[in-house]
Amino acid sequence: MVSVLEKSRIPELLEDLSKKYSVAYFQKDKTALSAKGYFFPPQETLFSYLFKNKKLSLSPKPKKKFLLFGLDPIDLEALDQLDEIMTKPKEDYFYLQQRKNSVIVGLAEYPLKVPVTVGDLILDKINENQYRAVALSKIGRELIKNKNFKLEKNPEILNYPEETSGLRELVKDSEFLSEVVLWSWRTKHPIWDKLGKICLGCGICTYVCPICHCFSIEDEIKLDGSDCQRCRLWDACTLNNFAKIAGGKNYRPNQKFRYFNWFHHKFVRAYKEYGKSQCVGCGRCQKYCPAHIDIEKVLLEIIKDYKNEKSLSA
Amino acid sequence: MKNLYQPNFAKIEKIEALSPSVKLLRLRKRLNFIPAQFVLAGVWGYGEAPFGVASSPYEKRYFDLMIRDVGMVSSAIHSLKKGDEITIRGPYGNGFPLEFLKGKDVVMVSGGCGIPPIASLIEYFIKNRKNFGRIYLLYGAATSEDILIKDKIKQWGKADVKILLTVDKPTSDWQGYTGFVTELIKEIKINPLDAVAAMCGPGPMTSAVEKILRPLGLPDRRIFVSDERKMHCGIGKCQHCTTGDKYVCLDGPVFNYDQIDKNWD
Repeated sequence: MVSVLEKSRIPELLEDLSKKYSVAYFQKDKTALSAKGYFFPPQETLFSYLFKNKKLSLSPKPKKKFLLFGLDPIDLEALDQLDEIMTKPKEDYFYLQQRKNSVIVGLAEYPLKVPVTVGDLILDKINENQYRAVALSKIGRELIKNKNFKLEKNPEILNYPEETSGLRELVKDSEFLSEVVLWSWRTKHPIWDKLGKICLGCGICTYVCPICHCFSIEDEIKLDGSDCQRCRLWDACTLNNFAKIAGGKNYRPNQKFRYFNWFHHKFVRAYKEYGKSQCVGCGRCQKYCPAHIDIEKVLLEIIKDYKNEKSLSA
Repeated sequence: MKNLYQPNFAKIEKIEALSPSVKLLRLRKRLNFIPAQFVLAGVWGYGEAPFGVASSPYEKRYFDLMIRDVGMVSSAIHSLKKGDEITIRGPYGNGFPLEFLKGKDVVMVSGGCGIPPIASLIEYFIKNRKNFGRIYLLYGAATSEDILIKDKIKQWGKADVKILLTVDKPTSDWQGYTGFVTELIKEIKINPLDAVAAMCGPGPMTSAVEKILRPLGLPDRRIFVSDERKMHCGIGKCQHCTTGDKYVCLDGPVFNYDQIDKNWD
């Protein structure tokens, strides 16, 4: 027996779920941002400190669990990576608390062939009217008991194409990308000078990326001076002061260095740390870069030259 | 789950000007650390910044920081007084490889405000003096005023540490050397086959010294440098302190020159 959900019942299901959970329906086409902000907000208060009684406190836990509905397989993969990054080698308390307090329901627009490794419940489209439901956790098994799901013996399973892109295919070979990106810097590939001039250093690629996670911690004092909030804010390694220390020395003194660092982290250091590129090929940075930098084209260009050189030297 | 961002509080037991721009902060708190490990010290309203611990790792009652008034946090710390509290997280980082240094001649090189981790290392050497060969401290600063903790340095000299001090701009009563730290290398006598170097100071100084240590016969892997970067989290998440494929907060701050040399940033 297969548990299925009629497409038309999604609103009703969400309505039901919002009695118990605070529900967010993530619709990729309605926002430039990824879903990472639900667990790693653009700005969050880590600690509050009251000057009067020298009391340090953490933000209170929300009363309801948070349910995130609608992540597609690409964003689920990104979330899985971010979970790993925030757990190893040391645990990021604030991210993991928010993750622990959450329930993830994935939504694929094609029948899944590869099992998903993150989330509580996965819905995948099997025909024009129905999604198949697979529970991945205890909470997922609870959710599936909702009256909007029903059991069917042989639902029609049609073949819809998996969402993919050139970039998504490229990042599958993270070992190769790690080698090529490092090679391009060591051999002073002209593309980095070129990109250093084109990149505006605005940080948008980092903000829209579902895996980029760099941040700064800054203090804010209330206007009346009574309390101080230690906040965590999104940062971006392409911004000009990211590697600048007190006294003025900037370890990445120009945009070429800063832009390359973005690549180096994603494809070289990430591969060394976690064995994969920190890119799932979601396409957001390609779509939203105001300077129209397309990382797929960048990768293809250096791959082409890398292969040329290797075949010449062989 | 432990909250690694949660700071502890430490009371300032003593605050003392070491030079016109550097203050010593003695904090009443026990800290178990290895020389060159660092803490993130913070002042509410200004934030946190990394500082190397300057006192002996054997000191149980307190630990010292030496803080140059150069950024937002350090300048806020300079305005504090005895009895005030600051926040502390750490210690973080790897520290000098003490076991590896055992039995060897050691050349320590420091410049300007790079002395704290070196000072802590010297205190460790003195406590375990017989385990090490010849020990040198080469310390350079702009003026004699900028040579910090002169009394301490005198004591070290008496404890069989060969001290070589140099300044760029000597005054008439200056008795040490004049010029860059690199000039002092010719004064040292070590067995390069069984020696190590430990450095902390401004980047141009450490790279210049390294160029001189190599011809002396010291391989890159035995030249240790305590590196510096911007830092927000201290636990390998925020990405500010990365250098090549390393994190200064987790893999450093001490690197051997072989690791640093290949880095692109």
